[in-house]
Amino acid sequence: MPIKNYEHGCSTTQALATLGKVEGVIPLVHGPQTCVFENQMSTLYCRPAKLITAGTLLSKSEVIFGGDESLKEQIRNVYEKHHPKVIVIINTCIPQLNGDDVHGVSVEMERELPGLRIRSINTGFVYTDAMLRGSDASWLAILQTLDKTEHDPGAIGIVGRSGQDADNMGAIGTMLRKAGLTTYLFPESHIDEMAKITRAENVYPIHLGSYESCKYLTKEFEQDVEFIEIPVGVDGTTNFFRRVADKEGCQALHDLVDEEEKRARVELEKLRKKFAEDPVRMLLVSGPANEMSMGKIVAEFGAEVFVVPSMKDKFYKQERAIMEERYGVNFIDEDFGSLDELIEEIQPTVIANEMQAQPESSARLIPSFCIFFHLADYGYDWALNFGKNFNNMTSPSIWKHWRELNHRYAAH
Amino acid sequence: MNDSQPQFKRQELHTPSSFEGVVWALAGIEDARTIIHSAPGYYFNVHNNMLLNDWPAELYTSHLKLSSVMKGGEEQLADVIDAITEQRPAALFVVTAPVTETSQDDAEGVCARIGYPNTVVVRPAIGQSCNEGKETAFQALVDMMDGDAEKQPRSVNLIGPALCMFNWRADVYELQRMLNDIGVHVNAVLSGGATFEEIRNAPAAELNICMYPYDCGQETAAVMQEKFGIPYMADIVPIGFDNSLRWLEQIAGHFDLDIRDHLARCVKNATHFIRSNMIFGSTFELSTALSFENHNTYALGIAECFKKEVGIRVPLVSLSNADAAERVAASCDEVLVSPTLDLKKEKIVNSGPNLIFGNFYDQKMSAEEGFQNFVVADIPTAGYVSSEVGPFMGLMGAKHLVQTAVNSTVTKLLIETKGDVAGEVSAGGVDWDVAAEQALHQVSHAVPHFVRTFAVKKIHEASQKLARERGTHVTVDVVRDAAESFTPARFHAKFAAIFDAAELDGGS
Repeated sequence: MPIKNYEHGCSTTQALATLGKVEGVIPLVHGPQTCVFENQMSTLYCRPAKLITAGTLLSKSEVIFGGDESLKEQIRNVYEKHHPKVIVIINTCIPQLNGDDVHGVSVEMERELPGLRIRSINTGFVYTDAMLRGSDASWLAILQTLDKTEHDPGAIGIVGRSGQDADNMGAIGTMLRKAGLTTYLFPESHIDEMAKITRAENVYPIHLGSYESCKYLTKEFEQDVEFIEIPVGVDGTTNFFRRVADKEGCQALHDLVDEEEKRARVELEKLRKKFAEDPVRMLLVSGPANEMSMGKIVAEFGAEVFVVPSMKDKFYKQERAIMEERYGVNFIDEDFGSLDELIEEIQPTVIANEMQAQPESSARLIPSFCIFFHLADYGYDWALNFGKNFNNMTSPSIWKHWRELNHRYAAH
Repeated sequence: MNDSQPQFKRQELHTPSSFEGVVWALAGIEDARTIIHSAPGYYFNVHNNMLLNDWPAELYTSHLKLSSVMKGGEEQLADVIDAITEQRPAALFVVTAPVTETSQDDAEGVCARIGYPNTVVVRPAIGQSCNEGKETAFQALVDMMDGDAEKQPRSVNLIGPALCMFNWRADVYELQRMLNDIGVHVNAVLSGGATFEEIRNAPAAELNICMYPYDCGQETAAVMQEKFGIPYMADIVPIGFDNSLRWLEQIAGHFDLDIRDHLARCVKNATHFIRSNMIFGSTFELSTALSFENHNTYALGIAECFKKEVGIRVPLVSLSNADAAERVAASCDEVLVSPTLDLKKEKIVNSGPNLIFGNFYDQKMSAEEGFQNFVVADIPTAGYVSSEVGPFMGLMGAKHLVQTAVNSTVTKLLIETKGDVAGEVSAGGVDWDVAAEQALHQVSHAVPHFVRTFAVKKIHEASQKLARERGTHVTVDVVRDAAESFTPARFHAKFAAIFDAAELDGGS
């Protein structure tokens, strides 16, 4: 039985990070102060450019008698101060347990505040071991505020991961636009931009954690959704673009890929040589699904890769199969008590993990780094840049220095 | 300017002379009194400067006027000495200034005539450096030492600290702590904070340690070795964890002490500290420029600590000692020896460090160029409160350096790259040129990973805001202006190349 939890965070955290980065939307955490404060702090790095964190700070009496009134009051406050287009109530464990009528409050407040759309999502213990569902649920909430529109002929939609992807999907979006494809990104920095996703004919999710949202796109907006693979690294990016080019009948995209791939391959071969000279055995543990994308990138360089996945939906299964077949990536499905056991078993030379695994990953002075700082890893250049800086990012000489220092003095 | 004329060396404006070196070395002896035999200008300038950087010290002057200089200032000096001896100081130091060096007053004759015990005249040579002045002062003290002092087992002298040497009190405090922990006693400090009796009794020590071997003290240690047979240690600079441990180990070895358990505890503690999530999570992507023309030992020790122990890149080190420059080259990208401010500015702006260590002039220049993260760590300062807190030397010094580097940069980068606390919630979308999108994407690679996604978000927002103000869509020029106003200096050079390339591609 696991004695620690190495997930990226609570699904409440993920929802807050996801929604907090979209202009026009304000996430409202409905829960006790512990939930609001802890999630505020946990998302400080990855959240929102803006620092607004609205919460209801449920008191003990509200837990007993219901927190509906606090929730209404806070919706009024937030609306009056910020005039968002959408408020998404992130309904945490306590009010779910308590049975607060969050849906009823939403309906009532939409009537009271015309023009404001309110949706709610349940997070926390409903998604234990599936933190990324907080992102999916958030996207779904936003999609549920959108009206059905006509499709733009030939337009495509790209669905990313969480709020981190807003403004960070340029490597994919720009290439598609350069090829002449009308492309709508989801997420975008603004709710109005995100709303354009409904105008796409075909939709291509590019990461894990949007499975439910994509199902909704198919059902509600009658869009054709296809998960190809995560477009990271050279092969992954090329395959993704080529499949889109084929499906959209876009020769210009093929031409651009030819050009980009040719340039990237030269760099990739240099990196492969470097990795062959100094073999890397890398363990990636439960990131915000980027244990998959980063694992794929490093595996393409020639590293031996071990992944503890954070997400096990349909997209994950498809991506996993690609990673296993193409690069022989190893997936760890069995439960483990603590990361220390895995390190002992795998003997990695580099570890990428979430912050809470850091006490174990750093204990043996093996190069390790915090995985969640390495987001938005799409396209050719991110991977090549990461590969070129891999030595600097992991700084094995520094860790070796500390191992030697300990060997010299502490081994006594 | 006539090209045949030697160029005016502007860098020397912020470099103190042998006069300051002598005064700072002597005025720090607590129960002694120092008289500057000079016109008053020397007195109040050096005194004011000392008081802006250090704790109060007793300093006196013979306040010569033009007439007394012409006639000889001996009588005025005698009057001042007579007045001061009534206080019964433990020792009396008379320091000549350039005016009295020129007039060649017979200060020694005055002192001999008065005959107050433990009086010495020290003459800083015109044209010598501050560190040479310190050596002169230290060696004057050596002449006053008791060669027959009873040897104190397991005791050392620390040679080098003097008033106005940046952070000397904290360094002495920390090194004393480390030595005490292994049972080694500090017999005397030459000379900051010492009493004259401690100085006189310095030959009782079994080992001399040069704290700042790339600045001063080695010549004095060599003289004491010859005169009193005291060996000295000057090869290990105790800055950084590794160097501090090796320093301690070498001293223990000298005294044949088994400190293995102690060192094991020290390294375990240091390792626990270094495993802090915020250290390697950020230091591998940080860079620090070091400007230490008046503290070569710091320049070397800090560069080695940052580069080898925490992976902070050191793009530039500026110092004044050629030997230190040769050794520090292995720990940084570029070394400047006594550069002009203009050259240093150019190099700093081009290398765009996240953090700069240096003196007041460096701080001012950095602020003007838009570098916000600065650590005052050398003289001259425009005023600095110094104490035992915050050493750069020893094990605590190593921790202090690392925490300073991280705490001075990471949160500021976070704040700088995040949006406003209560910025616009709904401003609406703006169209982007493909080239502008590409430029933004490329820019992201120049930003450290730990702030990258929201840094891009902020530039994105700033670009859209600027485009709205200009009534246009987002172009490469708009992104360039937004990016440059967002981080005016730190990423300037890296961004510039990206935007230049984008414009060559016809992006704007």
